[in-house]
Amino acid sequence: MTREGNGVSDADLHAYADGLLTGERAARVEQYLAAHPDKAQEIEDWRTQNSAMKALYGHVAKEPVPERLDPHRIAAEAKAGPGLRGVRRAAAAALLVFAVGGFAGWMARDMLAAPPIAAAEPMVRQAMAAHVLYAAEVRHPVEVGGGEEAHLVRWLSARLDQPVTAPDLKAHGFKLMGGRLLPASYGPAAQFMYEDGSGQRVTLFLTRHKDSNSAAFRFASHEKTNAFYWLDRTTNYALVGAVSRDQLRRLAQEVYDQLSL
Amino acid sequence: MSDFLDEIADCVPALRRYARALTRDADVADDLVQDCIERAIRKRRLWLGTGSLQGWLFKILLNIYRNDLRGRSRRAPLVSIDEMTVEPGAPPEHGHRLALSETAAALSRLPEEQKQALLLVAVEGFSYAEAAKILDVPQGTLMSRLSRARANLRSLIEQGAPVRHLRPVR
Repeated sequence: MTREGNGVSDADLHAYADGLLTGERAARVEQYLAAHPDKAQEIEDWRTQNSAMKALYGHVAKEPVPERLDPHRIAAEAKAGPGLRGVRRAAAAALLVFAVGGFAGWMARDMLAAPPIAAAEPMVRQAMAAHVLYAAEVRHPVEVGGGEEAHLVRWLSARLDQPVTAPDLKAHGFKLMGGRLLPASYGPAAQFMYEDGSGQRVTLFLTRHKDSNSAAFRFASHEKTNAFYWLDRTTNYALVGAVSRDQLRRLAQEVYDQLSL
Repeated sequence: MSDFLDEIADCVPALRRYARALTRDADVADDLVQDCIERAIRKRRLWLGTGSLQGWLFKILLNIYRNDLRGRSRRAPLVSIDEMTVEPGAPPEHGHRLALSETAAALSRLPEEQKQALLLVAVEGFSYAEAAKILDVPQGTLMSRLSRARANLRSLIEQGAPVRHLRPVR
């Protein structure tokens, strides 16, 4: 710290600019600045910088805090699983792989005679298993909520390495609850979950493919879970739900119209 | 535990603001804050209940932020003043209200240490002693970073820091 004239130090000048000096020390700085206009200009510039930075970012502290930053919620979720970054997600994924293996095996045993499901891509089995697993969740049906849709879509697009959009099903009475990232046979999958007024849920499961094929709607069903699935040039889609085949068909058409190439 | 969580919640708006200023990306910033809260909860036994919880949280946030930077090796190189291209047009006159975008652009060009120090003081309003504690440096080091940050900002703004590299803060 350099000693300026008057017993005013460099640190004092900064403190003065930051409003941290009072009383006699502030008065001494003011006297000094009155005698050194170039220094006074410098301090004035610092203050202008401060104001600009506050103006740039101050508003963030006034925004409503997103739910995922609620410490109570974070603590509760940490209780439900290991606290290390990524490990929680891996645990959920492991659960799904187990569920897919178990469910698919069970389905295969039951449904060998039923052509649609037997011929179904592994992806559809995974989509249906993922639906059964997560649609039943009360507290954690999705990982990122529909209120953060822009973030959700950006995240999933990054992970699938292609643009991903959540279709709007409001015209059919279904609201986007949110989504999550899941493992599938050949890469990551995006799952969006929707819910209607009566609490019925459908999920849209998307994976990327590189075959440039496309295929029209096919239907698969197991017990109460129905699925329509199709592919366009870049993406596999499966829309899954325990809703009537007709209703699911209408929803699938809507998704197709909005998303498929 | 609930009191502890409530106290953390009180600090979250300021943490978000600081994270946003550091990263200039709303989502990356909130991810940073979430990681900070998770770590604080896990390490709560290290929190002795004395001193400033807010300072402790900021320290955790900065540790995660700096680790992420190291991991991604995305340090913005310090561009020497001479190398920078100047936008055509007159530089702002003294006394004119500086365009916010110029300040944001200039801020993003500061070396990380200077930027972190300056934001703690100028936006978060920490005292020099608290800021030094958060950064885990002697107060003399804090003052010299502050000093250099302010001098650099001044030069960058006077020269007209190129605004074409600016990403809008969401």
